[in-house]
Amino acid sequence: MSEDGTDSGRRRFLLGSTSVVGVAGVVGAAVPFVGSWSPSAKARAAGAAVRVDISSIEPGSILGPIPAWRGRPIFVVRRTEEALAALASQDPRLQDPESTQPEQPEYATNEYRSRRPEILVLVGLCPHLFCSPTPHIELRAESWDEQWKGGFFCPCHGSRFDLAGRVYQGSPASRNMQVPPYYYESDSVLVIGEDGVNA
Amino acid sequence: MSTENKSGWIVTALAGLRDWTNDRLPIVAAWERHMSKYYAPKNFNFWYFFGVLSLVVLVMQLLTGIWLTMNYTDSAEAAFASVEYIMRDVEWGWLLRYMHSTGASAFFIVVYLHMFRGLMYGSYKKPRELVWVFGMAIYLVLVMEGFMGYVLPWGQMSYWGANVIVSLVGAIPVIGEDLLVWVRGDYLISGATLNRFFALHVVALPIVLLALVVLHLLALHEVGSNNPDGIEIKKNKGPDGIPLDGVPFHPYYTVHDLVGITVFLFVFCFVVFFMPEMGGYFLEHANFQEADALKTPEHVPPVWYYTPFYSMLRAVTVPLFGIDAKFWGLIVMFGAIAILFVVPWLDRSPVKSIRYKGWYSRIALLAFTVAFIILGVLGTQSVSPGRTLLAQAMTVVYFAFFFLMPWYTAKEQTFPEPARVTGRWITWKQIIITLGLLAALVILPLKAVGAESNVELDHVEVNIEDQASLQSGFKYYMNYCVACHSLGYARYERTANDLGIPTDLVTENLIFGDHQIGDLMDNSMSTDNAKNWFGASPPDLTLIGRVRSPEWLYTYLRSFYADESRPYGVNNKVFPNVGMPNVMHELQGDVVCAGGEHCELEHVSGTGSMTPEEFDKTVADVVNFLYYVAEPIRATREYIGFFVLGFLAILFVFTTLLNREYWKGIH
Ligand code: FES
Repeated sequence: MSEDGTDSGRRRFLLGSTSVVGVAGVVGAAVPFVGSWSPSAKARAAGAAVRVDISSIEPGSILGPIPAWRGRPIFVVRRTEEALAALASQDPRLQDPESTQPEQPEYATNEYRSRRPEILVLVGLCPHLFCSPTPHIELRAESWDEQWKGGFFCPCHGSRFDLAGRVYQGSPASRNMQVPPYYYESDSVLVIGEDGVNA
Repeated sequence: MSTENKSGWIVTALAGLRDWTNDRLPIVAAWERHMSKYYAPKNFNFWYFFGVLSLVVLVMQLLTGIWLTMNYTDSAEAAFASVEYIMRDVEWGWLLRYMHSTGASAFFIVVYLHMFRGLMYGSYKKPRELVWVFGMAIYLVLVMEGFMGYVLPWGQMSYWGANVIVSLVGAIPVIGEDLLVWVRGDYLISGATLNRFFALHVVALPIVLLALVVLHLLALHEVGSNNPDGIEIKKNKGPDGIPLDGVPFHPYYTVHDLVGITVFLFVFCFVVFFMPEMGGYFLEHANFQEADALKTPEHVPPVWYYTPFYSMLRAVTVPLFGIDAKFWGLIVMFGAIAILFVVPWLDRSPVKSIRYKGWYSRIALLAFTVAFIILGVLGTQSVSPGRTLLAQAMTVVYFAFFFLMPWYTAKEQTFPEPARVTGRWITWKQIIITLGLLAALVILPLKAVGAESNVELDHVEVNIEDQASLQSGFKYYMNYCVACHSLGYARYERTANDLGIPTDLVTENLIFGDHQIGDLMDNSMSTDNAKNWFGASPPDLTLIGRVRSPEWLYTYLRSFYADESRPYGVNNKVFPNVGMPNVMHELQGDVVCAGGEHCELEHVSGTGSMTPEEFDKTVADVVNFLYYVAEPIRATREYIGFFVLGFLAILFVFTTLLNREYWKGIH
């Protein structure tokens, strides 16, 4: 055994370099294990755009939750004139009335948070911890709000959103509900999941 | 603070953590006992790699296995599809699956070599009987683990293999029939059987396996390792109580094993990336067809690692004492494994290693090895009278090795053992002579009982790099085949991308019904229609390129000929009486069978929209496409493989140099 240490420099170099190469190998070997947790082709295919016929939605009623855009629950609401008019009145009670945070595509960054004023398209997930809020779209007093002008109430921790998905002050959530990308293929067909050509 | 002080601080902190832990858990003592002060003989040769390699494979199987369960579905309806889902849709799923399937075979290879090493150098003899017994228990559990794992993909071989092996339970007299139903949980192999095998394969047996491995190692470290000379190194200790011929396992054997592991990984990765099916031995072709309880494949050989025992099972063809031969076959098969457990008490030799045993033992070991290999080869082939006879003879040799052991080990003249371990290495001459002898003894008897015969097939070039050919094949497939034969495991989008076809072109021209570009190509006629039209539903063909060779597909598609006696007016030369019309007839034109007896196919000139050459090219394109779609990852797999092998070659240089650096002072 060479205990004299004459070659210890060489030995240390070899130990170090072999370790470096070995660690690189372990990292490389980890790639398939880590990578396999990403969404599969099936999950990605489920994220493809979905066509929805909106002609049958009556004013003041909701379609959904429908599984669309990566399988998430989507709400489509046809708002009444009255509901649209009431939206502005809620501004002082909201956290982000102007929709300044990027929770919606550009074409929905307006007072109604939608392409067409009357049709609201929302991802039905609470920005707090992702429960699905329950739609309460009638304009009437509710137990949590005397002046409720329609919107969504999250059963998990009581976050409240108006009929444009904007979050009320005093909610655990601090962002507005998300608007998915969508466009109108025709007057009555809505495509959810893509921005469309004229985005 | 200077850098030296800083790093000094880290070292102190780490040492503190170590001491804190050590006061509560004896980690230092354990490390010394099993690594830094475990003295192993310094004369280990390459046979001593296979123990540590078994551990490497075990860890790999556990990891890939855990990851596979994340996407596998253990139901009879979904299991097969979920495996293809792993192979195609899960990111890197193909690699995890190939690692696991190749790992299974690799496990048996290293374990068989490890066991053979034990037999050769007498590693089972006193005081290592328990090490051997635990090792054999590991092997037994491994056999069950491998068998149940093979059922999980729910292919034809999974199903019929399980059927055959599980049915053996029914051979047990009196209670067999009831026991069989209980084991299957049904009146035939079914989803219930699959579910319990899954639970056993992924939870119960791995726990048992790990426990046994721990016992195997603890028992080994209690008595110390044997070596090629079979001499106890503990008999010659220095004044410090350390064996004179021992070196501490760490660092000497850790750096040494790194070299062995690197070489092993190189071979392993070569198989994984370049030949994961291993010519049908690691992944059997018929297992790319989903389990069908109504149709047994033409030939049901077990996976190679069970074939020696399977041969013995088949070799027993005589009933005895009024009990079926089947039962005695079962006894022989399990007896062949069981007898290995008692080897420590069969061997009466005063010496351990084959190096100092006499000629009887040497010849016996050679005969045993030959018998084992021949039985293994026979197990992959279908039976014939000659083969059965050979299998019977080899079964006798196999058992004679054990039954006669007490006699020949006691009787023979042994060679004198040296006092200290020798620096003797296995020479090239020895290796060549042994391998040559082994090859001759194995091949000659097998030659004598004849090889398998095959149908003549036409040659076809497949080239998955040839996008034009693949595109043409895809187009013709979608026009002529997909109406009946879906491609239910492949997706439009991936196929389009791989073949270099713009996705909107596919969306406009090739997608049926309300399918999306990301969907599976599982559109085809409904099963009911199919039954009405053809009497059976046409099979999905996504994987046909793995079930059949390209040559077979090519020949088959070109071998339709007019035959008025058949329902569609056509017959096929390769697949007689097939229930499929010649869908490409309008392209090919008429083909008749001329020459009576031998049926030379002859094209009727002037018929069909293509010339025979154009038609052949088209068929070749379709075959090429089927070959691609059966395993779309193939090109990527090989591409990645080159980098992996390159990396391992570099690692080999480093580990070899490191190993030399440590061992240069040891003689
Ligand atoms: S998840 Fe909706 S309020 Fe917490």
